[in-house]
Amino acid sequence: MMTEAEIRQKLREWVVRQSGKIRPEELADDTAIIEKRIIKSVRIPDLILFIEEHSGRTIDVEQLKPGVFRNIDTIYRNFFAVKADGPGPEKA
Amino acid sequence: MALDLKKLDGIGWQENGQAVLSGMALAMLRRLDRLFLLWAGECGAEEYRFPTFIEAGQLHKLDYFRSFPHLVTFPVALDTSPEHLKEFSRSAVIDEAGVVQLGKCAPVREVLTPAACYHFYVLFQGTELKTARNLTTVATCFRREAYYRPLERQWNFTMREIVRIGAAEEVKDFLADYRARIERFLSDIGLPVAWENATDPFFDPSRNPKFLAQKLEPVKTEMVFGGALAIGSINFHRNFFGETFDMRRNGEAAFSGCVAFGVERWLYAFLSRFGPDERSWPSVLRSHGIAGDLANDK
Repeated sequence: MMTEAEIRQKLREWVVRQSGKIRPEELADDTAIIEKRIIKSVRIPDLILFIEEHSGRTIDVEQLKPGVFRNIDTIYRNFFAVKADGPGPEKA
Repeated sequence: MALDLKKLDGIGWQENGQAVLSGMALAMLRRLDRLFLLWAGECGAEEYRFPTFIEAGQLHKLDYFRSFPHLVTFPVALDTSPEHLKEFSRSAVIDEAGVVQLGKCAPVREVLTPAACYHFYVLFQGTELKTARNLTTVATCFRREAYYRPLERQWNFTMREIVRIGAAEEVKDFLADYRARIERFLSDIGLPVAWENATDPFFDPSRNPKFLAQKLEPVKTEMVFGGALAIGSINFHRNFFGETFDMRRNGEAAFSGCVAFGVERWLYAFLSRFGPDERSWPSVLRSHGIAGDLANDK
């Protein structure tokens, strides 16, 4: 099982790899990845698959709330910090 | 909102989704657009008037036809070969259902403008902006819809837009200022409008990542009158148009945002809220130049 630091590192690496334009040192955990279009809309389905794969949770796209993919912090809080059988993701 | 527009003077209706305005209704529509133009002037927006058509190739760069195929309207012309023109002119031309038997058509390369502000991004394509640009235009916009209603939902309608292209913070400030400006006005005149997050009307939205992106990070806020009718919207495009059309600000892809007004829908909201006779409208509307002496407007 991965630690919080390892999960955050994996998410940062994925964002840097997918964006193709941001350097690792430019990406903080509170950098707005969709608003700044570091991650473009066409990559969002891949991001969902990546989170599902590493969190072991199935994400219901219909239930996603605004803000949950805002940055690494919100992704971690909403999809990794809560228990798999806990309440659905909704915190921005 | 039990307003029977068909009984009002100055509003004619064609069942194919088009309105005919005259008299007081037309004067009120013009007054409303004049108000929006006045607001555009507050940021020094340069005014443009664009052609009715926009190149399909430019909209294709935005993935427009995949996102909004259900809305698009194309201008169509006949194939100009003498043989075909002769054949067409000698044919019955129109069948009993009113459908034109076009035969061979010329290649279609244009689209009837679906949103006023697209023209600006095409115009400023490939440019480095030394300062943020404030712009405004009004256009007759064309959108096919499943149904139509006078003033509320028309195949063609009037859209006034105020646009800024610049750096991210410049655009965010612009949109925040206009939202505050409009909120003050709405509160002043007593027009009940709710601000609601919205998404663009994508085709097959559940399969479109752009819809998902808008849902996750809302970029569109609508001014909703009467709980259902969006009379305008404030839109933050991020740097989508900047990247697509290579517009740059400070060496990076420019950001953009627009404030859009559906002018016929504003007219509908005013008629619903204040009644069909502008002479009985509250005096605050006169102070804003919207009501008062409309019959003398040319």
